[in-house]
Amino acid sequence: MFSWLEKNPFFFAVGVFIVIAFAGLVEIVPDFAQQSRPVAGAKPYDLLKLAGRNVYIKDSCNACHSQLIRPFKSETDRYGMYSLNGEYAYDRPFLWGSKRTGPDLHRVGNYRTSDWHANHMWDPISVVPGSIMPAYKHMFTNETDLETAYAEAVTVKKVFNVPYDKDIDGDGKIDVPLGSFEEAKERALKEALKVAEETKREDLVQMVKSGKIPEIVALIAYLNGLK
Amino acid sequence: MQNPAIEYDYTVAKWFSYLAILFGIIGMGVGVWIAFELAFPELNYVAGEYTLFSRLRPLHTNAVAFGFTLSGIFATWYYVGQRVLKVSMAESKFLMAVGKLHFWLYFITILLAVVTLLTRYTTSKEYAQLEWPIDILVVIWWVLWGISIFGLIGIRREKTLYISLWYYIATFLGVAMLYLFNNMEVPTYFVAGMGDIMHSVSMYAGTNDAMVQWWYGHNAVAFVFTVPIIAMIYYYLPKESGQPVYSYKLSLLSFWGLMFVYLWAGGHHLIYSTVPDWMQTMGSVFSVILILPSWGSALNMLLTMKGEWGQLKENPLIKFMVLASTFYMLSTLEGPIQSIKSVNALAHFTDWIPGHVHDGTLGWVGFMIIAAIMHMAPRFYKREIYSKKLLEMQFWLQTTGIVLYFSSMWIAGITQGMMWRAVDQYGNLAYSFIDTVTVLHPYYTLRGIGGLFYFIGLFMWAYNFYKTMTAAKQIEKEPAFATPMAG
Amino acid sequence: MNWLSDNVNQLALLGAAAILILTIGVTWKYFKQIKEGKSEGELKEENWDGIGEYKNNSPVGWSLAFIGTMIWGIWYWFFGYPLDAYSQIGEYNEEVKAYQARFESKWANPTKEDLLGMGEGVYLVQCSPCHGIDGTGIEGKAQDLTKRFINKEQVLSVIEHGSAALGDKVMDGQGQLGYPMGEMPPGLLSGADAVAVAEYVANGFKGNDKGAELYQSACASCHGPDGTGMDGMAPNLKEYDDKLIAAVLEHGKVGIIGTMPSFKGRLTKVQEKAVATYIRSLSE
Ligand code: HEC
Ligand code: HEC
Ligand code: HEC
Ligand code: HEM
Ligand code: HEM
Ligand SMILES: [Ca+2]
Ligand SMILES: [Ca+2]
Ligand SMILES: [Cu+2]
Repeated sequence: MFSWLEKNPFFFAVGVFIVIAFAGLVEIVPDFAQQSRPVAGAKPYDLLKLAGRNVYIKDSCNACHSQLIRPFKSETDRYGMYSLNGEYAYDRPFLWGSKRTGPDLHRVGNYRTSDWHANHMWDPISVVPGSIMPAYKHMFTNETDLETAYAEAVTVKKVFNVPYDKDIDGDGKIDVPLGSFEEAKERALKEALKVAEETKREDLVQMVKSGKIPEIVALIAYLNGLK
Repeated sequence: MQNPAIEYDYTVAKWFSYLAILFGIIGMGVGVWIAFELAFPELNYVAGEYTLFSRLRPLHTNAVAFGFTLSGIFATWYYVGQRVLKVSMAESKFLMAVGKLHFWLYFITILLAVVTLLTRYTTSKEYAQLEWPIDILVVIWWVLWGISIFGLIGIRREKTLYISLWYYIATFLGVAMLYLFNNMEVPTYFVAGMGDIMHSVSMYAGTNDAMVQWWYGHNAVAFVFTVPIIAMIYYYLPKESGQPVYSYKLSLLSFWGLMFVYLWAGGHHLIYSTVPDWMQTMGSVFSVILILPSWGSALNMLLTMKGEWGQLKENPLIKFMVLASTFYMLSTLEGPIQSIKSVNALAHFTDWIPGHVHDGTLGWVGFMIIAAIMHMAPRFYKREIYSKKLLEMQFWLQTTGIVLYFSSMWIAGITQGMMWRAVDQYGNLAYSFIDTVTVLHPYYTLRGIGGLFYFIGLFMWAYNFYKTMTAAKQIEKEPAFATPMAG
Repeated sequence: MNWLSDNVNQLALLGAAAILILTIGVTWKYFKQIKEGKSEGELKEENWDGIGEYKNNSPVGWSLAFIGTMIWGIWYWFFGYPLDAYSQIGEYNEEVKAYQARFESKWANPTKEDLLGMGEGVYLVQCSPCHGIDGTGIEGKAQDLTKRFINKEQVLSVIEHGSAALGDKVMDGQGQLGYPMGEMPPGLLSGADAVAVAEYVANGFKGNDKGAELYQSACASCHGPDGTGMDGMAPNLKEYDDKLIAAVLEHGKVGIIGTMPSFKGRLTKVQEKAVATYIRSLSE
């Protein structure tokens, strides 16, 4: 049979394809639906956090940081409760990472704060002597791309039914409002001002007050939300 | 034996060989750079934000996988394909045009990849960072390559497909399937009418995205770093040594075994994650079974050299290829052992993984491509290899580099993994995270030095190739087997 | 360090050794064949670009191993691996339960040395990123824990703003630290009076006589005449007592320096007591 296949390239190719294709089906399909279900209380990212997440992606923080706490005591002691499937329901793409050059960040919002992040991202060794993490000074002057983040929110809302502008927990209130771009931007600016003030950096506060959100502020809002 | 009537046309093979050398130097230059950045973080700021580790790491992986390795794969395909099918590209204007278009579109794509990665366009999924417009380009030239493969097969004179062709065909099909599914993404501009036109969002969320990603990621390793490299060794080693392949049966079992087993093993990247337990276990089980079809090819090659110690001693190209098989064995045993749950609990997220990655990529992928291109060069240009001595030196320098690389990363990874878990006598974590970082400094430095050795070897290779092309002694007749080289 | 008592460590080291030994061992064997063996076999008829193929059988060892792993795989999947009885979370719960049982019985009555040692460990891992390895607060980035308690600016700020209301953190009258007295109201004193009290408090309840007097009238009702907080009704201003550390760890704290995150649920009671002991030792 094999020597016949080797003389008939078409069937050979079909054979190879079948052999390699069905493993994928068995692996991925059975739990697909179940795994996209959010845990109770999970909410999609608001505009500022989504923009911050995009900053995290743009500068590939996932090259050094994981966001997946494995169920070992040594990890839950260090980082907090192990990660649950449903916590990632709104993560497109997932950001688990594959290498921990730096620590896990899945719950960093629980034990680090805005001012700490600002100091650390500006100059890591000033807070953690011996750190090999690079400084990200350009984030303190770059303006966050809110338009793209908004476009992303609208896209996931329309295409994947992500519950923006909806009452998720059934308390009668909208949980994560999005609305028009202007509305969303205004809300983001308000949030951003809070974060900027927490960082105690006058330049960031001023920039937000002038209507521009520095990337670092969006990023910190995102990091604070990782809980 | 040879069919003198056929004049093979190596134009496209040559072009891709140049790119393999070019992207090898760029990609591994960046690799050396980021290796030293982890040891000496000041290097991050040499060119502002453009040399930050996180900006360059994806550039490194993309440049070596999609620049260096794919160029090597295409270069050898456009050479081996013609020869084992006994048809010349020159016989079909159409296939020639397809080949050239394939080359140029590919070249443009890789350049765009470099530019977009440096300017922060990335989807963040490993080995699938490129944004959707580039994905489309990739699909186009991948299809062109397919046309070239099946076109050439369509007009072949050799009825039966040689082993190498099985593997090239599998590469084509495997990557096509994987790439398409993992890169399913929705460009946001077209839905919302605003924002960056390059931006897209993944079709899958969270755990599902992870599963699709590592089904892809693991098999990208399979179909870029393994399958086409086996295609190469099945041609270049018997050809260079003049020895028949040891066992057809072993090739057959290894091929179908590999095809069947590989795809199931992706779960080993997700052990102790939030994917279901049964899937993780399946990943472990199939990974262990995978040792044998992997070792099958390597053993077949070692056995092909049975009784040929003289050649191994005399011919640096044979040295490269035999050591490549050995490193292939090392990494395909290492991978399965790292797939065992308790071992993965320690190894995952540590430097032991980059250690595993590089004894595969440097020892197996890198050595095989280097050997293949140096085997082809004299046949491209009808000249001897310019310097055997230089090739020999390159071999030893690079081998030392690999050993430094993987031994330092094994130690670093295992140390780090143990320190993360360690508790003091009170049962509390014994080390703060930063303790587990600073302790790695010597190993990061050693790895950098190892990488530097390998990198210097690339320049020897490039120089030797260039001199072979332009200045080495001309030869009248193409050698049937052993490549002629000057002292 | 007792690394080898951890079975994950053992298996990883064993794995690393197995990789090296098996690879080197097997390659050795085949290299010997390259050196001493002889290429032979029956050739197939086909030939590609000069490359022939022997019809040799696969090496016996290889075939047996292949079949062996397949049988093992089937066995493991259907019988060995308890498909529905195993769960990694279950495994985790057991790990934690076993640990806690051990921990609680072992440290039911810790001595001061135990607490100090344990506290130092916890401090270095959990607190040093903000308070510094030496506890000095990394040049004002967090509370300096080595000098007794609180400095003049901080006291002034608390007098001016009260405690609970810095930033826009709303505490609903609870006080951010959750003491029985609840919130401390803002503006109890102002101007030179406030400065005088601040100096007195920050100086360890010494010096400034005017401050001492004002303290007794404005503050002692809650913090006690000696500043120790009236048995936990309000914060102890003289010393990091266990109650204050526990309160800060549970609730976090916003002050003029910045924000201290809450560590609620991340440390056990014994560990909290241990860090408190350790922190007190810093100012001794
Ligand atoms: C070269 C690797 C590297 C890169 C890239 C990197 N980090 Fe880090 N990161 C580290 C290391 C190492 C540490 C631990 C030492 C320290 O705290 O500085 C760390 C620590 C952190 C911490 C503190 C977490 C904790 O628990 O203490 C945060 C938050 C963080 N990084 C965020 C980021 C963000 C956001 C980015 C991307 C913009 C990033 N990092 C990029 C290596 C890196
Ligand atoms: C009504 C009772 C009350 C009075 C009067 C009072 N305090 Fe307080 N004080 C509190 C309480 C309750 C807290 C803790 C508030 C919290 O939970 O945030 C506190 C907190 C503080 C703190 C912050 C402690 C820390 O952990 O950083 C300082 C400093 C302080 N008081 C000083 C003073 C001084 C000086 C005066 C006199 C001018 C004074 N207090 C008067 C009830 C009082
Ligand atoms: C993310 C940074 C951060 C971490 C981690 C942190 N702290 Fe703090 N801590 C602070 C800051 C900032 C303050 C100062 C708050 C203020 O302005 O009063 C503070 C204040 C304190 C105070 C003084 C509170 C007071 O009433 O004045 C104590 C005690 C303290 N921390 C203990 C700890 C302990 C113990 C740990 C570890 C288990 C810890 N901290 C971890 C940032 C941190
Ligand atoms: C001079 C040679 C090389 C050096 C010095 C080098 C260095 C590095 C470094 C420092 C990293 C990052 C590791 C980390 O994040 O801790 C890395 C990652 C990587 N490299 Fe290389 N590299 C080299 C050659 C190659 C080659 C030839 C390939 C492929 C053909 C390759 C493929 C990869 C891959 C796939 C990763 C990602 C690994 C992971 O995510 O775990 N490298 N390399
Ligand atoms: C039998 C064959 C193999 C198996 C079972 C295997 C298994 C593994 C495992 C378990 C990991 C680590 C996952 C983690 O914990 O993060 C891994 C990572 C990796 N392996 Fe292998 N491996 C095999 C062969 C190879 C070969 C031959 C190469 C390359 C030439 C290779 C390249 C890689 C790369 C690039 C990664 C890093 C992926 C990432 O995290 O980015 N593997 N492999
Ligand atoms: Ca990786
Ligand atoms: Ca893509
Ligand atoms: Cu894999």
